[in-house]
Amino acid sequence: MYDSKVIRRRRAALAVFVALSLGMLTMYFGESSGGVFHTLQRGAQEAFAPFETGANRALKPARDLFGWFGDTFEAKGENEDLRDEVADLRKELAEADSARADARELRGLVGLSNDDGFPQETEPVTARIIARTPTVWYSSVKIDKGSGDGIRVDMPVIASGGLFGKVTSVTGGTAEVRLITDASSKVSAQVMPAGAAGIVTPIVGDPNDLLLDHIAGDRRVTEGVRVATSGFKSDRFESLFPRGIPIGRVTKVDSAELDEFQRVHIEPYADVREADVVQVLTARGVSTQAGVPLQ
Amino acid sequence: MTTTPGTFVRCGLIGVVGVILQISGLGSGRILGGYLDLTPLIVAAVAIYGGSVAGAGMGFGVGLLLDLLVGQTMGVSSLVLTAVGYGVGRYREVRDPAHELMPIPVGAAATFAWTFAFAALSFMLEIGASVSFGVVREVIASTILGAIFAMPVFWLCRRVLRPVLLVDPLDLRRRRRGPREAGPIGLRGLEV
Repeated sequence: MYDSKVIRRRRAALAVFVALSLGMLTMYFGESSGGVFHTLQRGAQEAFAPFETGANRALKPARDLFGWFGDTFEAKGENEDLRDEVADLRKELAEADSARADARELRGLVGLSNDDGFPQETEPVTARIIARTPTVWYSSVKIDKGSGDGIRVDMPVIASGGLFGKVTSVTGGTAEVRLITDASSKVSAQVMPAGAAGIVTPIVGDPNDLLLDHIAGDRRVTEGVRVATSGFKSDRFESLFPRGIPIGRVTKVDSAELDEFQRVHIEPYADVREADVVQVLTARGVSTQAGVPLQ
Repeated sequence: MTTTPGTFVRCGLIGVVGVILQISGLGSGRILGGYLDLTPLIVAAVAIYGGSVAGAGMGFGVGLLLDLLVGQTMGVSSLVLTAVGYGVGRYREVRDPAHELMPIPVGAAATFAWTFAFAALSFMLEIGASVSFGVVREVIASTILGAIFAMPVFWLCRRVLRPVLLVDPLDLRRRRRGPREAGPIGLRGLEV
């Protein structure tokens, strides 16, 4: 236990120090820059300046080491912040890319519908692809529109650029579309503008390459020409696809098969791997192309 | 703590060296948004070894020197460090801590009280000063750094002050050890 004298001494000391501090504080605020405390400050700074300079030089290595630790910690924190920012920007970029891709596809679909030669009054229903076959074959996809939207089996489907496939099954809200790259796909087509006709069949496993087969040997086909649906129609049969839907561009002519029938390779306009938005042509429409006799 | 000229010299030496080190070197090294502040640590060290009066006096002196050399408002640092030194000294007098790791919580508490009170006082005095969240982060970071560096600072201060200490808390701890149960027969049962 402390006696009362010690307690009084302790409290007095505290009171003195606090009073001195408050007094200095009050006087410092009250005086001008030429006052006692300001002058005292300048004098003390001048007197201690050599010590401070020496200590500053002597402590530079220690300060650098300390700063290195600080920089390292801050760099780590900054690195994490930048990683988060990059992740956010990547997310935004992915969303922007997705929106841009959708816009491009929709623009392509609109442009395709307005294209010269494309069948008119087809009453297209725009749909989004919601599922794909998880194989490298890209044979079918599922879309988010079905019979409730007027979609029926065998209706042609287009994507940005050209023919995409046909509807093979329908539910109330979805439909399955068999792509033109599916092994069972066969599309009657016509080389534009020469008019040589044939059957477009896929090369399974290579969605960027189709074959236009059964072209009469005397109808010369050159690279780069456009191939579209022929809309074949006879007394007994009629093509599922209306005339004039672009399919692709001739990329190669097999010279070894020039004798009886020609077979040419086509690069499809529609990107069956990347398409997200398609249109189902719910009405057959009216062809706007000048009739070219099929052979 | 004895009140001899040697005591004042030793305390003055600790204070001057600590303040010069602080303003010349350590004040510019920032880690985690805070900086190592020696001033509350040396005040707390003197207070824990010397008691409340020595702590308050050390706080006042260190604060005064700091205000003089840095050129900031006179009396602010003195007022806050006086309170810190007195508080730590009273803690020692009332609780009589003797654990070897005692400097860590004491250093952290002193640093926190110093940075927080100084920030609050500056905010109240400096009209137009704005406060951001960075102040809170600085208080927390400085407290952590104070806790980390408390052990070596307290050890150094104890080394300097030991010749003038009436009671060393760590020696007190050694004296509290139980009687020896092994060793020479003549020493067993004795507190040696």
